[in-house]
Amino acid sequence: MSKVDMAVIKPEMMKSYIWLQTADGSIQQVEQEVAMFCPMICHEVIQKGMGSSKNYAISLPQRVNPAMLSLILDYCRFHQVPGRSNKERKSFDEKFIRMDTKRLCELTSAADSLQLKPLVDLTSRALARIIEGKSPEEIREIFHLPDDLTEEEKLEPLKNTTDDPRIRLLNRLYAKKRKELKERQKLKNIEVEEERVDDRSVDDLLSFINGDNGVLIDGFTDEIALLLERIVKFSSVVFASHVSFSTSMPKYLLFPCSHLGEVREFCFADSKGIKNSKSKKKNRRRKDQQKNTSANEAIKNHNKEPNGLNQVCHSAEVGQKVRAGVGATSNLHDVKDDIFDNKNELDDGDIDDEIDPALKEKIDREVEDFARRLNSDWPERMQEILSFGHERKPVHFSLNGNGSLRRYANSEQR
Amino acid sequence: MDDVMSRDLISDLPQSIIESILTRLPIRDAVRTSILSSKWRYKWATLTQLVFDEKCVILSNDRCKVEDGLVNFITRTLFLHQGPIHKFQLTTTHLQCCPDIDQWLLFLSRNDIKELVLELGEGEWFRVPSCLFNCKKLTRLDLFRCEFDPPPTFKGFLCLKSLNLHQVLVSPEAIESLISGCPLLESLALSYFDSLALTIRAPNLKFLCLEGEFKDICLENTPLLVAMSVAMYMTDDIAEHFEQSSTCNFNRFLGGVPRLERLIGHIYFTKFLSIGDDLGRLPITYAHLKVVELNQVSFEDMKEILVVLRLITNSPNLRELQISGSSNTLAAIDAPDLDFWEDECPSNCTFKQLRVVRMTDMSGVPHEMEFIKFLLANSPALETMSISPCVYVMDGRLNMLIELLRFRRASAQAEILFIQD
Repeated sequence: MSKVDMAVIKPEMMKSYIWLQTADGSIQQVEQEVAMFCPMICHEVIQKGMGSSKNYAISLPQRVNPAMLSLILDYCRFHQVPGRSNKERKSFDEKFIRMDTKRLCELTSAADSLQLKPLVDLTSRALARIIEGKSPEEIREIFHLPDDLTEEEKLEPLKNTTDDPRIRLLNRLYAKKRKELKERQKLKNIEVEEERVDDRSVDDLLSFINGDNGVLIDGFTDEIALLLERIVKFSSVVFASHVSFSTSMPKYLLFPCSHLGEVREFCFADSKGIKNSKSKKKNRRRKDQQKNTSANEAIKNHNKEPNGLNQVCHSAEVGQKVRAGVGATSNLHDVKDDIFDNKNELDDGDIDDEIDPALKEKIDREVEDFARRLNSDWPERMQEILSFGHERKPVHFSLNGNGSLRRYANSEQR
Repeated sequence: MDDVMSRDLISDLPQSIIESILTRLPIRDAVRTSILSSKWRYKWATLTQLVFDEKCVILSNDRCKVEDGLVNFITRTLFLHQGPIHKFQLTTTHLQCCPDIDQWLLFLSRNDIKELVLELGEGEWFRVPSCLFNCKKLTRLDLFRCEFDPPPTFKGFLCLKSLNLHQVLVSPEAIESLISGCPLLESLALSYFDSLALTIRAPNLKFLCLEGEFKDICLENTPLLVAMSVAMYMTDDIAEHFEQSSTCNFNRFLGGVPRLERLIGHIYFTKFLSIGDDLGRLPITYAHLKVVELNQVSFEDMKEILVVLRLITNSPNLRELQISGSSNTLAAIDAPDLDFWEDECPSNCTFKQLRVVRMTDMSGVPHEMEFIKFLLANSPALETMSISPCVYVMDGRLNMLIELLRFRRASAQAEILFIQD
């Protein structure tokens, strides 16, 4: 073609187009310079040679639907022109971003999948502006968020000034105590009838306890509960993070673990309350353990996730799900120390009082056996523990024969 | 996923986007998102940027309460946080020296902190704990009103790119060794130091900002310097020290910065440069220098005028020039050396790229007018020359205008704006 001929040809015919296909199957062609503004499309064209014809249309990610694509292309069409001033671009952006929240979220998602960072930044800023300064209810309303946290979980960890964590903890424990007393009254009658014998062997127990996943063990009786309590207390075993027991009675145990000087917590939930509980979630705090040297394993309750410092302040709520704070920080220990000062009063002597001696012996034997399996230096540890059991720092809860809880200096109890 | 209308709009966006949204929120709002729904419980906890400022504080009249509130908030936020923290910024007037800050810094030093900005209140200055010097990954450090005392074993921050010390109590040797010990340093800002004599060796330094009473500054090894801003305050003893000095400050300061693009000088900067014996031709040309701003140039001091001339005649690509004068009119009515302009002034220098000139605080002294004349005659590309008279000059303005009218202009499109306030 001669130069003259070239000049005669209309400019549009020389423009090249790129073919794009959205997730719903529709295909369209877009001017090349506009489409190439998106890094992802650019990559596809250059690296893979796609997009040159209808058959080789570039498949866009699923998050990009046709409506969003057209918005994004509008954005690209404006901004890919090099000669525009900053002021022009800014004012275009301000107008562009005016749309309802739903579309804004979709646009953010679509822009992110096309790797169009300037648009992602623009939409993120707009979303941040929407969220800023609003109350949680308003935000939930705008974004259709489910309000699925319980009252306690909504505890704002950052409430400042007058909330002394100790006072809060005390209040919560008092409230829980009261609830429990009521429940126990009711359940005492039921328990008399439902005396189930559990003939699971120690082996089973072992495998349950040492397994990685928490398993719901149904129908434990007092016997096994006591067994476990004593085992854990007198051994240096470190149990798997989440073990949950469903019993007919709420129990609340905290076991000091001598060599780590920390508190382990077991959560005994009421069978009624949690029969149809959801699957246990992995304790998020396990992630922290890789970072924190002090193993900070807390038992997770079925539905809730623990929350750092809040654990001190969280406690049982509806359905007698019980969980006390577990923390390996000095902060928490101080708190507990102050509140639970009279732990010395509480010891296992009380447990023995109300148990049949034969049963007791059986339990003792089993405990020993079990512990030996778990921990080979059992006798020495036993000695060690017994000799300085009372001086240990962390919280100590003990269980009476009939399951009534005793805690710190709560005079209600006695 | 039942009813489209009630479907959650935002929680399923990728974490990187959520974080970019949360980062743009004030920290209180970001942490508050943890009570929105179960999915949002910990979305904030992995933010890598924590910025605490006055908005975090719940105001009340009780000082202690405010302080405690802020300390609690920061402590708990750090405690609930998960993962690395790359940026920590604390800017507040409500907090001064406080033991919690040491603990926060210790926590941060274990969490890969990269950018640290600490600006505390005006009370007792905070003493930086030694754990700060263990932050190996630090790329930016901004300290305001602190005591900074590196241990003898401290060699420097190997990744540090930006250093800003404002009103920091530190020994001169410590500063010099800190600067030399940060090989990647690109931006340095030192403000409000007393009588500091400083030699700067920073091979990667691009931006320099100095403000304070400097006894002496020498840029020994800063070949990549792009922009600098210097404000030199001078006390009497520093002035004396200067009188006795014979080294050429101009060369020591501007002798090794061929890539300079912007130069801003305040207060006594030009005077500082003028001290010392003139060693003749300048060894380098400022081929990239585009913007020069010199404030408080005393047009009564010939040496200062020479400094300005030297600078601009060695900058072939100069585009913008701003000079503010500080002359004492009464003293300069009878100005010596006026014949300089006809005899010795470099006559064949043309400012080919000079577009904008702003002369402010002009008193109308002869040297000032000669300088303006010189510029007008040698700037073929000039577009705007704006002149603002000094506020104290009322009578001389008319004379200034009359003189201005006479000056030849090399540029046909040059506008002269006489700005009356």
